[in-house]
Amino acid sequence: MFAIVAHKELAPKVHQLSIEAPLVAQRAKPGQFVIIIADEKGERVPFTISGWNPEAGTVDFVFIEVGKTTRQLAALGPGDSISHFVGPLGRAAEIDHYGHVVSVVSGYGVSAMVPVLSALREKGNRITTILQAPDRDRVFGEAEIGAVSDRLLFALGTSSNGDSMNSSATLAMRKLLDKHPRQPVDRVVAMGSICLMRLICDMTREPGIKTLIHLTPLMVDGTGMCGACRLSVQGKNRFACVHGPEFDGHEVDGWEVLMARRCTYADESILQQGFQCRGCSQW
Amino acid sequence: MSDTKDPNVSSEKSAEKKQKINLNRLDMPKQDPEVRKRNFDEVATGYTHEMAMEEASRCLQCKKRFCQAGCPVNIDIPDFIGAMRKGDLDEALRVLKTKTSLPGICGRVCPQELQCESKCMLEKKGAPVAIGRLERYIADWERTQGAIKVPELAPSTGKRVAIVGSGPSGLTVASDLALRGHAVTMFEALHVGGGVLMYGIPEFRLPKDIVQREVQYVQALGVDLKLDTVIGINYSLDELLNGPFDAVYLATGAGLPMFLGIPGENLNMVYSANEFLTRTNLMKAYLYPDYATPVKMGSRVAVIGGGNVAMDSARCAIRLGAQEVNVIYRRSRKEMPARGEEVENAEEEGIIFNFLVNPTALVSDGRNNVSGMELIRMQLGEPDASGRRRPVPMPGSEFIMDVDTVVVSLGTSPNPLIASTTPDLDVTRKGTVVTDEKGKTSKARVWAGGDIVSGGATVISAMGEGRLAASAMHEFLTDGAKKIIPPSPAKA
Repeated sequence: MFAIVAHKELAPKVHQLSIEAPLVAQRAKPGQFVIIIADEKGERVPFTISGWNPEAGTVDFVFIEVGKTTRQLAALGPGDSISHFVGPLGRAAEIDHYGHVVSVVSGYGVSAMVPVLSALREKGNRITTILQAPDRDRVFGEAEIGAVSDRLLFALGTSSNGDSMNSSATLAMRKLLDKHPRQPVDRVVAMGSICLMRLICDMTREPGIKTLIHLTPLMVDGTGMCGACRLSVQGKNRFACVHGPEFDGHEVDGWEVLMARRCTYADESILQQGFQCRGCSQW
Repeated sequence: MSDTKDPNVSSEKSAEKKQKINLNRLDMPKQDPEVRKRNFDEVATGYTHEMAMEEASRCLQCKKRFCQAGCPVNIDIPDFIGAMRKGDLDEALRVLKTKTSLPGICGRVCPQELQCESKCMLEKKGAPVAIGRLERYIADWERTQGAIKVPELAPSTGKRVAIVGSGPSGLTVASDLALRGHAVTMFEALHVGGGVLMYGIPEFRLPKDIVQREVQYVQALGVDLKLDTVIGINYSLDELLNGPFDAVYLATGAGLPMFLGIPGENLNMVYSANEFLTRTNLMKAYLYPDYATPVKMGSRVAVIGGGNVAMDSARCAIRLGAQEVNVIYRRSRKEMPARGEEVENAEEEGIIFNFLVNPTALVSDGRNNVSGMELIRMQLGEPDASGRRRPVPMPGSEFIMDVDTVVVSLGTSPNPLIASTTPDLDVTRKGTVVTDEKGKTSKARVWAGGDIVSGGATVISAMGEGRLAASAMHEFLTDGAKKIIPPSPAKA
């Protein structure tokens, strides 16, 4: 059993849990994830790590209450425990000195990106963050991500005409790209809804700005055994759990299929806050 | 052999003198196919006491123990059956457990027809003693006898061994070394012990409470099972060796699923057999929503492949409510690697077999769900490296089969996690760990066995390799052998 040491409600239906898991805390790196099982009859669910403390032996992750397991987790607090907690899984995010890094985040990515940006900043990168949320009331984690960004831009709301769910973040990105390369964008990192990351990749492809995206497809074991999280990268099958979860977004092919696979279990699984299924397998 | 007389004949004759040969091999009762294809209960319900005693009485108690020689873990078969014949089930169990800690598992999933039973004197007359069913009977009988009885362990040697992976091979080495007085820690990445016995083999062939009971037996021998711990992540192999452990056994299996490499293989509702079986068995999707993991499946399921895992997938699909399940195999029935008994069971349950066809593409319904499979007919050509005739496509013979769920069961390859984090461990191009015949790897104090070495074989062969490695490890861990294999510099 893994004890819960803290539970913070960051916004309505958005929670952060801190779990006592020294083995995971000792090894965690930015961009990695854990698999948790709430109780013995529970499912294995991946969550990107949003923070850790090797001395205290604790690991944090942020989740949005959307399905059975996340509702169950939301009801837990200090004194409670979860059955299983394994990690850190996946490869760590690529961290080096690039110059000006633009990060695009939405949903749980607002919190899970913090360790990545923190590491990038330590390497001397200048960080501009575009934070997308449905509205001002549902913004969370602003202070934490603000602390590791040189500039924090809000992209609130989604377009009402249904053309693009992510028009506001792409608008902010467009403004930055318009000034490129006079004010260069040297690298983009994105963690958020898959359609947002796809749109961002489409925008950065032409100017040739390397864009790393963090994918969280469906997983079962999370260690490379089941292949549920597979995607096509430069024509080759890759598993997000062992080859990712960070990928070069311009090398990902088969976005349509990737997005559709995300929806296979959508009704039982996790949907982003504010998401409306349009029956198009497109998110 | 200098003796020109066939020893089989002589022992058969002497046995014949003692007892009349009984060729009435008793079938094991099974659930009716129409009933069992709608539940996940065990298909074969096991011998009754009377049946077990009657079957045991058929054993000729040959002096030459051909059956025992046919067993990869060298179970003293005539002795355990002999004890049964005397009505001493405790003794039968004791004999079994000196060579296997997993009799309930072996009795169910070993291919006895290729091993012990194929060497039985009565096999020549077409009715070998049902050794596997008797082994199972004894194991199941033990479960009715209350608490697990633990044999006496050898005095502590003060040596510590780490086992990586708690599947059949890891469990075998763990129990062998624990019995010999070594302190054993077994690491498991998943949330339960048992490896492929839990995530792969379905409930209806191998009930999970039986696996857990045998895992608990190994724990009762003093083995410390550490779940949710990934070697290569939480500890590297070198950290284990430089830490408290004197030796390590790698039994991480062949976990990575292979895919088709054809268009459309990532469409929705295309599963690897590993995912389909893991959801269904390990995560108990057949009990959804009581258990939280679902498995989505349509009504027309195609399973690609002809091995035991393909049979398991097809038979899970029919139990989960599929209307039609087609097995797609590119060679003919004769070349199918699946165990005959399992093919028979699948056929009885209404699984349809399609031979000499191979998928060339999966077709989308326009919304990225699979809706069809393009197949091409094959014919058998010249034998290939495996000795089986090579299937050759027949151009122009393509056709479409309507399907809404596809399970790809083309085999697995080793998980590269340990090899990639251990530069001085020799692996083959396929990623399997290189060992000598006793399981010793290129790295000091490290042995390996099971699918991580073979690339994919049976439960019992994984156990057999474990048995050999455990002996070699024991030799190394006890003083004499240390002179032969020097410890690595880090340890010294």
